[in-house]
Amino acid sequence: MWVLDQPYIPRADRLSAGTPLMLLTVLAAGAAAAVVAIELGALPARALRIVGVTAGHGALLASALAWAGVSAPSQALTVALLGLASTAAGLAPFGAVAYLLPALCVIRLAARGQLTSLSLGTPVSPRGVFAGILVGAGLSSHLLISASRTLGMQVRVDHVPEVLAAIAYDVGANVLAAECFFRGALFNRAQRRWSFATAATVATAAYVLRYVVDPLLPKSAGLVVGAVFYLALLGAANCWLLWWSESLVPGLVSALLFFAAYRTLGSE
Amino acid sequence: MSLIALALVAVTALVALEDGGPASLLRHAYLVPVLAGALRFGAVGGGLAAMAAVLLSAPFVLPEIERSGLTAEAVEGLVTFAVLGLVGVLSGVLRTRAGRQGRRYEVLVTIQRTLADEATLDVSLARLRAALADRLRVDEIAIVARDADRLVVAGGDRVVEGSLVARVLDGGGPVFVEDTGGSGRSRRAFATPLVSGGDILGALAVERKGEISVGERATLEAIGAHVGIALENARLVSQQRRFAVELAERVAMARRELEELDRAKSAFVAIASHELRTPLTALQGFSEILALRRLPPEEVTRLAEVMRREARRLGRIVSDLLDLSRIERGLEPALCRVPLKLEPAIEATVDIFRQGSATHFITTECEPSLPVVDADPDALERVLTNLISNAIKYSPTGSAVHVGARALDGTVAIEVADAGRGIPADALGRVFEPYYRVPDAAGAARGTGIGLAVVKALVEAHGGTVHVESAPALGTRVTVLLPSCAAAIPGRSRSVP
Repeated sequence: MWVLDQPYIPRADRLSAGTPLMLLTVLAAGAAAAVVAIELGALPARALRIVGVTAGHGALLASALAWAGVSAPSQALTVALLGLASTAAGLAPFGAVAYLLPALCVIRLAARGQLTSLSLGTPVSPRGVFAGILVGAGLSSHLLISASRTLGMQVRVDHVPEVLAAIAYDVGANVLAAECFFRGALFNRAQRRWSFATAATVATAAYVLRYVVDPLLPKSAGLVVGAVFYLALLGAANCWLLWWSESLVPGLVSALLFFAAYRTLGSE
Repeated sequence: MSLIALALVAVTALVALEDGGPASLLRHAYLVPVLAGALRFGAVGGGLAAMAAVLLSAPFVLPEIERSGLTAEAVEGLVTFAVLGLVGVLSGVLRTRAGRQGRRYEVLVTIQRTLADEATLDVSLARLRAALADRLRVDEIAIVARDADRLVVAGGDRVVEGSLVARVLDGGGPVFVEDTGGSGRSRRAFATPLVSGGDILGALAVERKGEISVGERATLEAIGAHVGIALENARLVSQQRRFAVELAERVAMARRELEELDRAKSAFVAIASHELRTPLTALQGFSEILALRRLPPEEVTRLAEVMRREARRLGRIVSDLLDLSRIERGLEPALCRVPLKLEPAIEATVDIFRQGSATHFITTECEPSLPVVDADPDALERVLTNLISNAIKYSPTGSAVHVGARALDGTVAIEVADAGRGIPADALGRVFEPYYRVPDAAGAARGTGIGLAVVKALVEAHGGTVHVESAPALGTRVTVLLPSCAAAIPGRSRSVP
């Protein structure tokens, strides 16, 4: 029993210990340089999305991997694959298939047992996956119903390639980076310092903030309130799923289902 | 849980079918699954059920606000949201607290029952650990208690230096550790001292993969205090029982000793009466003969000698009785000590026996130039008389009795040895007790059982010691050690009679 036969040493490391500051600085500098280049006309305007996706999601994913103890070259490779996928998706809709590359890279790291501290590559029970599906489906259905009743938005099936490209983006960038960082890394570390409620609040607040400041999110008040509401629920639910199942997979499933439902919505 | 979910869906379906809008009366039916969730699963269950109810009813309320703003119906719907949330959370909190109090009460009863048993500390702690593990719903539990200079550990083998429990035992107070290591859900640990009257008697420690809430920690601290008090009570009760058993044994022993003493005294009275009567009878008979008859001078001399011997015997018995009386009152025998040469004193006493009894061959052997002793001549004579008399009484007719004296370092040793029946080993330690007679000696010779007690008291009053050595069928030797005069009265010069 740990309390009897292991030495007790009070925790001394900080919450942000192990953050890859060099890589984050490079990403920030690259993004700033790209913005300047776009402003000067050296790069096309659509490059802004490519840079934003690479820098934003890359920073989250690289931080999560660094906190998990993954080597710097592997972090850089994952960010590079993310940048490549973002570029490919920016060039043509089917190029979004390239978002599978960073996802495969993460899966490879997980299979090697390098992401256990993110609760990836650890055993996952069917009950956990089922609970993830239940949470994702529940929130998705509520989103679809309330969006159609209150915001006048409907499920649209006339832009299938765009929806599939958006789902690929969620798989390889949006959901993957957010779940790895806000749940796998941040919540995992926070729950080792504080109570579940505090850790979940911190992780969820950071998660919601990340979307509120996202320039790609529409800025109408109704949509922002709706986004905060659903993302807060999704974030809290995914924290609980990780806590309960001890795996990040159920949270990934629920978030993918929710964002897939969100991608199908469109105005009449 | 399924029933609660079904109830929520059913109420939503009914509200949708009625199409009553935000103010539909059926919305109050959400209270049923919310209360059920709160009563079944506590605050979390009630809160989640209320949130689910709000989420399910939101599509009926929010469109009304979108369309017409905050109408009376919309406000009713919003108030319903608040009521559901409050009812769910508050009912759940109350249920959680009531459950916690109930469990706490059960735990306290368990502690009292477990530690009330008459079992060793190791067994009691093991039982208590099993009972608490069942009720506290933790993954691991350990109870450590101090027992004199050792630690009794239930739930492990030992307490490692520097561990959480060791820190608590060292007076660190309760300690909560948010994470003990490993991946996945964090494993929490909490250790609290078992205290009683400000003393740390041990520690209670638990581990759980999951939350150990503030409320649970407070409960564990209270349990630690209760276990500490219960342990202390159990220890006191055990001590009291031991005292009671010990006291009963002592009372029984004292009672046996008193009964034995009473029997010995009764026997003594009978024997002493007989011992006194014998010389009295002789004195009475011979004095009547002398008074009533005219006898030849030789016969008169012989009768007078017999009367003198019996009178001395009577006087010795009376002196012994008086000394015994003083001993029993805690007083030393009265002495009149003078510097005394031992050899003449020994020879004089032995001569009396030689003249009075021809049944034994009495030899004396005194070292030349024996140091003088500071002693009461009468007391010394009584000591020697008792010892020689015993030697004669308990040795066969015709055997030798040896009386000797030799100088040792600062003392003089007087020895009286016989070749008699000896004293059994188990009786050797008691021969100097008043009224005690060796069990099989009563039939062998007459005696009061006070002679050796008086000898011991007289010798000790002189600052000396007496001890007896005996081997069955070989004989007995009694040795009296008296301090020599130089040692007893340093620098004192006195005349020697």
